[in-house]
Amino acid sequence: MPDNRRRHANTVPIAKFVTCVVVGIFACGAGLGYVWCKNDLYATGAQIKKIEGELVQLRSRNEAARTSIAKLTSTAELDKRHTMGWIKLVPITPDRIVVVGVAKPAASGELRAVANERKRE
Amino acid sequence: MNRTARIRAFITCFLLAGCFTAFSARLVHLQVTQHDEYLAFAQKNHGERHKIHGRRGTISDIRGEPLAQNDPVKTVVVDATLVKDPRSLAKLLAVSLKLPEAVLFERITREVFSETQKKNVVSPYIVVKREVAQGVAEDLASQLAARKLRGVSFEQSANRIYPNGHMLCHVVGFVNGAGQGVDGVERTMDSYLRSYEGFRNIVIDRKGNEIVPYRGEEHEARHGSNVRLTIDMGLQNIVEQELDAAIKQFRPKGATVILMNPKTGGILALANRPNFNLNVQDGVKPETRLNLAIAAQVEPGSTFKPVTVAAVLNEKLVTPETVFDVENGYYEWCRLRDDHPSIELTVNDILVRSSNIGAAKLAMRLGDQKFFEYVHRFGFGEQTGVALPGEIKGVIHPPHQWSKISITRMPMGHEVAATPLQIVTAMCVIANGGTLMMPQIVHDITDDAGVVVSAFPPREVRRVVSQKTTEQVRKALVEVVSKKGTARLAQVLGFQVAGKTGTAQKREESGRYSHEKHVCSFVGFLPAEDPAFVALVLIDEAQTKRGQDVGGLVAAPVFSRIGERAARYLGLTPSFEEPEGSVVAREGKAGGNLRNR
Repeated sequence: MPDNRRRHANTVPIAKFVTCVVVGIFACGAGLGYVWCKNDLYATGAQIKKIEGELVQLRSRNEAARTSIAKLTSTAELDKRHTMGWIKLVPITPDRIVVVGVAKPAASGELRAVANERKRE
Repeated sequence: MNRTARIRAFITCFLLAGCFTAFSARLVHLQVTQHDEYLAFAQKNHGERHKIHGRRGTISDIRGEPLAQNDPVKTVVVDATLVKDPRSLAKLLAVSLKLPEAVLFERITREVFSETQKKNVVSPYIVVKREVAQGVAEDLASQLAARKLRGVSFEQSANRIYPNGHMLCHVVGFVNGAGQGVDGVERTMDSYLRSYEGFRNIVIDRKGNEIVPYRGEEHEARHGSNVRLTIDMGLQNIVEQELDAAIKQFRPKGATVILMNPKTGGILALANRPNFNLNVQDGVKPETRLNLAIAAQVEPGSTFKPVTVAAVLNEKLVTPETVFDVENGYYEWCRLRDDHPSIELTVNDILVRSSNIGAAKLAMRLGDQKFFEYVHRFGFGEQTGVALPGEIKGVIHPPHQWSKISITRMPMGHEVAATPLQIVTAMCVIANGGTLMMPQIVHDITDDAGVVVSAFPPREVRRVVSQKTTEQVRKALVEVVSKKGTARLAQVLGFQVAGKTGTAQKREESGRYSHEKHVCSFVGFLPAEDPAFVALVLIDEAQTKRGQDVGGLVAAPVFSRIGERAARYLGLTPSFEEPEGSVVAREGKAGGNLRNR
């Protein structure tokens, strides 16, 4: 065998080897990437589910709180508490109300009461 | 490669190819030919339709005070197919939900025959308890998670709550168990208030957890729109309190108070007695649920006389100063009496002295047909169109059905039947300058984002009489609430009040008018020169001393108290000096209350 041909026959096929390695790495990478993406998708899904649950819970709590506020601040409830003496309010008596400017003053020139408060028996 | 090796390689390849072909064929068979069957099977085992809860709209007053709201609650559901430890689960549920453990255990482990699986299996859907409070459900969920017990889910629902209980019960109404409006605004506005559930198709794993990436079709829930009423709870509270005081004082069979804005027709307050608690429906009698303001008819009595006077004045047949012979208190041919006998009265004084004979003579001058037309134009005999269920038309017979004396009875509010809302709407015509307004109870409707979906602006039905006529009638009505009128006790210090009392005898079962049973009423407005509201107080069968159950003594004082507090609440500026010696002037100085005797 001539010298020049013998040298070529023993060379390592680097190009093929590199190609195989690259293809192998790509295939492995793609596989791992797929698994990673899939896991990430599931993890994100679980996170979405958890956040959705929290949101629903928050909305429910918000609604429950609003209902409680509505009950406690309702006219009927406040009136009841006022009657019980829980809210320390006193009726506004006419001698404490004055109208400035618009109303005609009484003949005596005094500021007049807005209305006549009468005690109920 | 020798021949034998080649043959072996060929056979191996052939067998492998055959195997792959067989597997491929099977795969195609499963995926294509039997696709639907296996898809349905998979969906049945792992697919679920998850409900998305929709909220019913709220109802509030004009200032946004909530009148009907939703209290979020949960329904606890057990999927027994996922339960591994029924004993522990039953124990935990029993403690949290206050249910008997043995019953729970039996329900969770009870097996029923499954048609699809052809064997006895435990139930995948057991409703353990409904209407579980939000806090209790959250505690239970955390305990289940801590003990790693599976198979329990919580479905969102809501209870309808009425924060004001008894107040405004006939207007707000209520819903049934299915969440549909049954009465009041809940019923008439049900199409707006109603919510629609959404859904989401999901896939679950064998542990019952959702696999989120495989979510299917999804439809958002549609929340109900929010209804805002024309009612002002500040005024409503005043009305309710004064009505309660009147009930305590007179112990009547029933009572109604309506406050209306004469310029817009908006109902500011409406209360009936008897009433009921909207949050406690059990045991409420049907007649208690009746909204007397629109579903009961009464003979309006003398509160009808302004209609007669306005009609005659509008036709220019008389002037307010025209004098009528009122037969010295007894009109013989039609057997009509006046409580305050006079020989002659002007048209003005016919109203002020509430003369039945005078009213009859005015109507006779107008004529049957014309009088009937005016009664209709004032809104009697037809539904007002208010957005509340069960409104009746009242009864106004056409002239061809009248008896010979009908023309003498109708002008004083007999032989006609009207709802309290019709009476107050008719008075609004006088108060606002002659226009019949449609009573409104709903101000607007907004969606979940607060955008107005539907608005209900003031609606004029028709012009009934001229402005000049209303001014003439108004002057007379102011005199009714004066020293010489029948409604002295309706006066309000600082304000000029116009109004008319009514005392209608009730009909007995025999068809005759009772001398003991009366419907006492007062309908009026203030300030007379520029009315902020028209109010009707109607009290049915007040228990008083004999002869004192009349509108001027029973209903007028209630109007006065409501008017006084309402004027202060609305910030009306007093502009009227009571003449020396008037009831309120004397009371104002004395600081006492003559009306509450």
